[in-house]
Amino acid sequence: MIRLRFARGTLLLRGEVGTPYGKWDPRVGCYRVKAMHYRDVLTYLGESRVPFRDEVPNLPPLQPLKCTVELRSYQLEGLNRWCRAGMRGIVVLPTAAGKTYIALKAISLLKTQTLIVVPTLDLLDQWRRRVAEYLNVEAGAVGGGEKTVKMVTVSTYDSAYLRAEVLGNRFMLIVFDEVHHLASPSYMQIAEMYIAPYRMGLTATYERGDERHLLLPRLVGDPVHTVDVEELAGEHLSPYDYEKIYVELTPEEQRVYDREMNVFRRYLKEGGIVLKSLKDFRRFIMATGRDRRAREALLARNRALKIALNSEAKLNTLAKLLEAYRGEKILIFTLHNDLVYRISRMFLIPSVTYQTPREERREIMGKFRSSEYRVIVTSQVLDEGVDVPDASVGFVLSGTGSTREYIQRLGRLLRKVEGKKAKLVEIVSKGTVEVRISQRRHRKRKTDGEG
Amino acid sequence: MLPSELLLVRRRKGRIWPRYAKLSDENLEVVKLLIEAYSRRVGEKKSVLKVFVGGLEDMGYDYRFVRGLSVLLDRRSVFRCNVKVDPVDLRRRLYQATGKFGLPTTPERRSRIIESAASELRLTAEMVEESFYADLDSELVLAEFNPLPPQELLKDYNLSLTQTLLFNSTELNFTASGNWQRIFYTVKRLGMIYEAYRSGGFWVKIDGPASLFKLTRRYGTALAKLLPAIIANKEWTVEAKILWKYTNEICDFKIESRRHGAVLEKPEPSAVSYDSVVEEDFATRFQALKSSWRLRREPEPVPAGRHVIIPDFSFEREDVKVYMEVVGFWTAEYLRRKIEKLKKIDVKMLIVVDETLACERLEKLEKRAKLNIIYYRKKIPLTPILRYLEEAFQPVEEKQTLFVQNLPVTFLESVVNYEEFAARIGVSTESVRTVLTKKPPQGYMVLPNSLVKKDKLKEIGKPLEEQISRTGRLPLSEAVKIIEMEGVKDAFNVLKVLGYKIMWHGISPETAEVIRPETKQTGKNS
Repeated sequence: MIRLRFARGTLLLRGEVGTPYGKWDPRVGCYRVKAMHYRDVLTYLGESRVPFRDEVPNLPPLQPLKCTVELRSYQLEGLNRWCRAGMRGIVVLPTAAGKTYIALKAISLLKTQTLIVVPTLDLLDQWRRRVAEYLNVEAGAVGGGEKTVKMVTVSTYDSAYLRAEVLGNRFMLIVFDEVHHLASPSYMQIAEMYIAPYRMGLTATYERGDERHLLLPRLVGDPVHTVDVEELAGEHLSPYDYEKIYVELTPEEQRVYDREMNVFRRYLKEGGIVLKSLKDFRRFIMATGRDRRAREALLARNRALKIALNSEAKLNTLAKLLEAYRGEKILIFTLHNDLVYRISRMFLIPSVTYQTPREERREIMGKFRSSEYRVIVTSQVLDEGVDVPDASVGFVLSGTGSTREYIQRLGRLLRKVEGKKAKLVEIVSKGTVEVRISQRRHRKRKTDGEG
Repeated sequence: MLPSELLLVRRRKGRIWPRYAKLSDENLEVVKLLIEAYSRRVGEKKSVLKVFVGGLEDMGYDYRFVRGLSVLLDRRSVFRCNVKVDPVDLRRRLYQATGKFGLPTTPERRSRIIESAASELRLTAEMVEESFYADLDSELVLAEFNPLPPQELLKDYNLSLTQTLLFNSTELNFTASGNWQRIFYTVKRLGMIYEAYRSGGFWVKIDGPASLFKLTRRYGTALAKLLPAIIANKEWTVEAKILWKYTNEICDFKIESRRHGAVLEKPEPSAVSYDSVVEEDFATRFQALKSSWRLRREPEPVPAGRHVIIPDFSFEREDVKVYMEVVGFWTAEYLRRKIEKLKKIDVKMLIVVDETLACERLEKLEKRAKLNIIYYRKKIPLTPILRYLEEAFQPVEEKQTLFVQNLPVTFLESVVNYEEFAARIGVSTESVRTVLTKKPPQGYMVLPNSLVKKDKLKEIGKPLEEQISRTGRLPLSEAVKIIEMEGVKDAFNVLKVLGYKIMWHGISPETAEVIRPETKQTGKNS
């Protein structure tokens, strides 16, 4: 009798029989298949009428679900298309358009063991809350020190990757939140090492700059449903206003900025180096590992950027804005942790960074949600998909110029709050390269056809 | 192990190796400076330490080298949050105050909030400012530091560098002079797959289940964790395939004890396992037998199909090699599988089983001393093991006996020592003894360890006799000296054959005497 068994992220076929995707493993003397082909192997063995014993799944017990989600029309459409595609595929919806609800509804339809994979611990908490609220069942968690597997379990990408060997055969449905992350060389192994025949990917930004999203259909399924922001704006998402404020550096800041920037420019000029593409830049960074002068040039550039990003004048402008928007719920974003702490100290505003203790972060987010705190300053941890229910104003004090990040930051502010128009204000230092970064963001945004 | 951005390597022509820090005076100087800096800055903030480290970078040392060392020293340090108030609690108070009174957008309003919090907590405003973010990593205070000799830090750095490079490995090949049990135990625990093969020695290749489908760095961390167990040995060679992520190239990596052993920190040998007392005791008693078998502990593993068997002992005698494994906890099924495994290979192996470590009821197992299983309690018995060894050697013995029997040889010398003769013709002493004692050549007397010509015996008898009649007594030491001068090693047996007896006065041979029993004497005279 042929035995099919799970072996640390792969399937072993005992008994000398080949299958599609199977490969003879001379190390152990039997056929081995990637766990992701579990469904294909079962179908093949069934159709060839080969008697076999399936010892693969090791599923946690089922629990009764009580689903209280009601889908909007475009969400229902997404779910239907996903079902028609064999319960595989990717749903592309703008941030805040309620991707979560589609997944929750899918779980309640399939009533099967489900793993939800998310990028951050914040999202892990958020999904657990949603599962409790809308499926009326307590979710397990893997990540952030927790390791409980339940019928519905939420895990971070990191933990799902690291523990694939032991978790790979425990779920039949796997939901990838922010599925564009899955295309990275290490994370894609999650898709390969889990047996789950049913797969759903969710994202607002399907395409990646490095084209790796082309790998996703093989891992999760094709994009089955795409809705643009334009289609939803006004009806389901609140419209927003965008304003950019230019701030002059103080004379002293400008002097140091110019000096540092010149060190950098001189190095480029003398070496005949042009930094046009991301590739050029990567090559330059590589050179800094070997060449001392390159490294000094890089450090000078970083110091100059830091001055531009952390300018005193910006903080003064921020103080004025905080006055002007007093009483609103405000999120302040900056790139550098130093600046987060400076703002936090200066205005006694709660801060959230990757260093914030988890309990304190939970508390701050909870109090912001309940409006006890009305302002939060943060670096990048809130970037993706974390639900900040009714923040209506955002201040951006610095950014990396990445398109996706920009869209998602906007997206978070697009919560519809009693018909109120959201507002995003970006503060940029005048006469510095930061202006260029900011412009690049907007150009990119247009070509991507989003926003 | 270091953060990957601190990895320092050299790459050339498809090969890659870590840029090891030489144990040079210059490097030792930097290391000494750093260790001193940590020792002297106990009580100061981490950010102060990092400023010092940054200073060393500016002095021209590679920043990755200096920071790498600093990372290792951080691990030998305890950093603490050194304030009177819990910063998280303090922040909560301040945030709540702003929730009530609004955000302080002017310095005046800010200091009012700070001061009211300070008076509530009975602190000064400065202390509040100081404590506000005292739990941030850079604000923590160095509370304890456990220094180490500079040389050791450099070696530790080199080991960490190697492991950090191995994070990028897709497979690892190695050979080593021992420590196999710990190595294979680690391999199993990490869920890796091994393949043993011979290539001028016993080699093992290690990768993981999914390596079959594509090159992956997934198992790099596990491979790096295995490294210490390998290089804890005296001799080793480690080779790896490195998937260099920046160029997506496969590079070869190789280090060996001969060239790199001196610059790498050698981890402590593994702790003794629970049955090692039993094994130790067995080895001591076996050695005391002074048998012809050469005993070795932890010999190299034996490839057995797709597996390897890791014996605890090997017994070697001429071409015959017998292995022995001392089994810990066991079940009948476990033993049965082991025997199955052994049947597949052409290796003689004893399995020694402690009855008290059975994991099922004793009556369930076949208690017959079947095949090569030896049961014991407390002590590993010697007798059945020697019996097995004898049996294992028997075919060789028989062959050699036949060979000696058919050897066309005429002895000329007056003394033929079996051991020497056996060595000369390349057979075992035992076979020579068997043949020669069964059918001794003409004119020779058979002694347990040699043949002696009867004429020669008479010759030896004379000086002994003389000594006795001249002095009236013959000390044993004197007799042995006389006999050995005649070229016979077997002094005791010669004395016996000549009819002498030894009178012991205590246990020392110094005081023993050789005498001629009266009856024998008269008998011989007549």
